[in-house]
Amino acid sequence: MMNEKLKWLFSPGSVAVIGASDSFDKLGYHVMKSLVKGGYRGEIYPVNPKAEKLWGIRTYPSLKDIPGEVDLAVIVVPAPSVPGTLQECGEKMVKGVVLITAGYKEIEDSQGEALEREIKDIAKQYEIPIIGPNTFGFVNMTDGVNASFTYEFSLIKKGGVTLISQSGGFCHLCGFLAMEERMGMAKLMSLGNRVNVDFPEALRHFIEEDDATKVIALYIEGLDEPRGLLEMARSMGGKKPIIAYKAGKSEKGDSASRFHTGSLAGKYEIWKGALRQARILEVTSAEELIDTAKVLDVCAPIKGNHIAVLSGQAGPGMIAADALEDAGLKLAGFTTGTQEKINGLLPPVAIRTNPVDMGPAWYSPQTMLDILKVTLEDEGIDGVIFIAMFASANLEVTKTMEGLMKNIEPFKKPVVACFTAPAGIWDEDIKRMDGEKGVAIIHTPERAAKAMGNLWKMQLIMS
Amino acid sequence: MEKLLLGIDALNFLEKEGFPVLKNALAKDENEAAGIAAGIGFPVALKVSSPDVIHKTETGGIVLALEDGGATWDAFKKITSAFLSDHPGKRLEGVIVQKMGSGLELIVGVLRNQQFGPVLMFGLGGIFVEAMKDVSFRCIPIDARDAKEMVEELQAYNVLKSTRKETIDLSVIGDFLLQISNLVERHRGIHEMDLNPVFISSKGISVCDVRIKIDQ
Repeated sequence: MMNEKLKWLFSPGSVAVIGASDSFDKLGYHVMKSLVKGGYRGEIYPVNPKAEKLWGIRTYPSLKDIPGEVDLAVIVVPAPSVPGTLQECGEKMVKGVVLITAGYKEIEDSQGEALEREIKDIAKQYEIPIIGPNTFGFVNMTDGVNASFTYEFSLIKKGGVTLISQSGGFCHLCGFLAMEERMGMAKLMSLGNRVNVDFPEALRHFIEEDDATKVIALYIEGLDEPRGLLEMARSMGGKKPIIAYKAGKSEKGDSASRFHTGSLAGKYEIWKGALRQARILEVTSAEELIDTAKVLDVCAPIKGNHIAVLSGQAGPGMIAADALEDAGLKLAGFTTGTQEKINGLLPPVAIRTNPVDMGPAWYSPQTMLDILKVTLEDEGIDGVIFIAMFASANLEVTKTMEGLMKNIEPFKKPVVACFTAPAGIWDEDIKRMDGEKGVAIIHTPERAAKAMGNLWKMQLIMS
Repeated sequence: MEKLLLGIDALNFLEKEGFPVLKNALAKDENEAAGIAAGIGFPVALKVSSPDVIHKTETGGIVLALEDGGATWDAFKKITSAFLSDHPGKRLEGVIVQKMGSGLELIVGVLRNQQFGPVLMFGLGGIFVEAMKDVSFRCIPIDARDAKEMVEELQAYNVLKSTRKETIDLSVIGDFLLQISNLVERHRGIHEMDLNPVFISSKGISVCDVRIKIDQ
């Protein structure tokens, strides 16, 4: 029942905003803005007894006055009036609730905890899944539903990454990074206080029910019962790649323990092992999360760990080659045939073995891309890192690459590219190419290598 | 109620549960010690057995690598009298005479964490665990793949893979970890456990020392 309702919650045909407002200092304003400006195509029902029209939309004094069915109710009224509102949601047979209101278990006043219990009971009585309380909401990029108080999330590119977060702040960090790094997302959500939709429920939903989700990223702070999440992830048996960023690493083992095991077992150390056991790949920074999720979403699966580095300049190529080793990858040797072809394309004035210094091909982007092609043809190469730093002479390299993207896809090998130029020169080309035809564009050679390494690690975890 | 199972009682418990334990027996006097040692085969180690001592090395209660009966006889006298004079009031049950372990030292541990429930730990003994805290954890129960990964993810994995003297069958360690996981599943009362050290060599794996905290 709950599973069925979660589908409606995340892709509602109609949304009621309880506490809708046209006053900037109210959350109800920002939720309305997200839905309206975010291009939501279903019915919007603002609810506010003091207004007849908000945001140009007919407004209802209460939920029961709404003529049609309500799939999702976004609640932003003050905490004490939430139980009553939720009761009305139950009577109206609302299918799901986003409870943005804060002031529950997380506050010092014990009244908060009592209110949260009340909410839990009503939700149970009517079997209503609730995201929150104390959440910024969720955003469904796939269907254009922004049920949050931050409209700008609607600007995130559509894609296959879904972030399930224990923190709204982290969603903002990652959401904005996703825009900057051109990462395509399917869904973005903060679980808040997890009254009845917790990690296991959300994970199950996005793996089993949401075709648009290709990769799941988790942000975890701490859980009273982590086994629920871990067992759910493991039971999903590698259906979709799951990565996780675990915060709160400082908690040490019990130094007073007279047992070695007790003194060594910090909670983070246990988390690390438990994540691996659950077939979840751990990442250790927001950037790594973005890069990894992005390559998992857009690149072809990697079949081995032998990588070629092709760089327009020797230095960045060498950096990528170093970082490859740390990331669990190997710098591959070319077959004789491939090496001969590369030698035919490059004069013997720079290093032509892996990592290849394509410097001599500065004036010929076409040659650089020919080298990429012969490298992809080499059966001993499982993936390519392709690097170019801007110089006036190689201005056309991104344009040329864009024209030849279709030649990359048939090889079904991951290509992670790294293009760096002053603002405004390659930006548009990069934006158009990133995520297309199996190519991911990552900021720096080190990060490109690490992302490629995580692609391989995930391959091992899921096999 | 919490109870500690130490020394020979803990070793006997593991042996009964089907674990490979270094041959040992409790000696009450020096003659018995020398006799047991001859029966087990040299070299042997002596360890004081006291229900009041968890870390024997800290109490000077261990003598290693005794090569014959005379040395065993002398060592028994030395450690028992040292123990009695250094630790008045602590009970002395006798001295464990144990076959000397050889090979690499491993540590295997179990604890119950409030959030995670029973957890298994694995690492290499000595500086790897003491200084580098190079250990891996998994929730119990584990499967064969988990066991293999626990071994492979240690920074010291290369040490295990390529000991200069001999080849170690790493699957033996994996099987041992699985066996411990099963033990903890069977005995819900096992609250915490240090198997330290456990010896691994080309000849196989065997537990040298173990301490167990039991919730009754």
